[in-house]
Amino acid sequence: MSPHGPTGARASRSRGFTTVLVIVYGIFAISATARSLVQILRDFDAAPLAYSLSLLAAITYIAVTIALVRGRDGSRAALWLVVLELVGVVCVGTVSVLAPSLFPDDTVWSVYGIGYGFIPLLLPVVALTYLMRQRSR
Amino acid sequence: MQVLMIVLYVVCGLTAALAAYYTLRDLAADLVLLGAAALVLVVWVVLGLGLVMRDLGGGEVTDPVTLYGYLLTGVVLPIGGAWLGIWERTRWGSLAIGVVAVTLTVLAMRLEQIWPGGFA
Repeated sequence: MSPHGPTGARASRSRGFTTVLVIVYGIFAISATARSLVQILRDFDAAPLAYSLSLLAAITYIAVTIALVRGRDGSRAALWLVVLELVGVVCVGTVSVLAPSLFPDDTVWSVYGIGYGFIPLLLPVVALTYLMRQRSR
Repeated sequence: MQVLMIVLYVVCGLTAALAAYYTLRDLAADLVLLGAAALVLVVWVVLGLGLVMRDLGGGEVTDPVTLYGYLLTGVVLPIGGAWLGIWERTRWGSLAIGVVAVTLTVLAMRLEQIWPGGFA
């Protein structure tokens, strides 16, 4: 927490709202990765499908975070990864509601991310809306 | 330990409220908000060290991997939030710090759920 003040040069590197997306995606990348690795390494056979999907969710969050940090605003890669994420959470959420027996243990995306306050469902919608608006400018 | 938990909730709550105020007033993170983020980190580290000492001393923790994962996450997040607050000189840098404060509150609540009473 060094006392760096603002400078004019840094202002031009401003990412705006993308900063918020980066921190939220970063948090989900860390927590989903940690969760899925613990689940997989501890007892993969207990719920192989659920744990694999947790890992898939984790990888998606990592990929989106990297795309947001590296790409310019509204980069094509970030956009497609967020679409993929939305498809993932909707598919996994729907399957977990219709066929709960497939999921002896929860994934990050179970019931549209109910274990995470439905943020996994809201996040791609917010990100998609923002990225589309950036691109249309 | 319970007192430290309450201190953490209060510090996180105040930091989140401050960050929300900065965001609404279109203010970039200054030393006050960055200091609040630093304070969150300090309280979390003290709390974490307390839990780790208790784990090493009594070994009552049922799930040490998860505990250390949570504690490490709680150390990384305030640093990341402050980093973004320093480099992103807009309201969104402030909001990033607020997001971190809220996340740490949730993490602390989960800690208490998994190990009731901080496994006292």
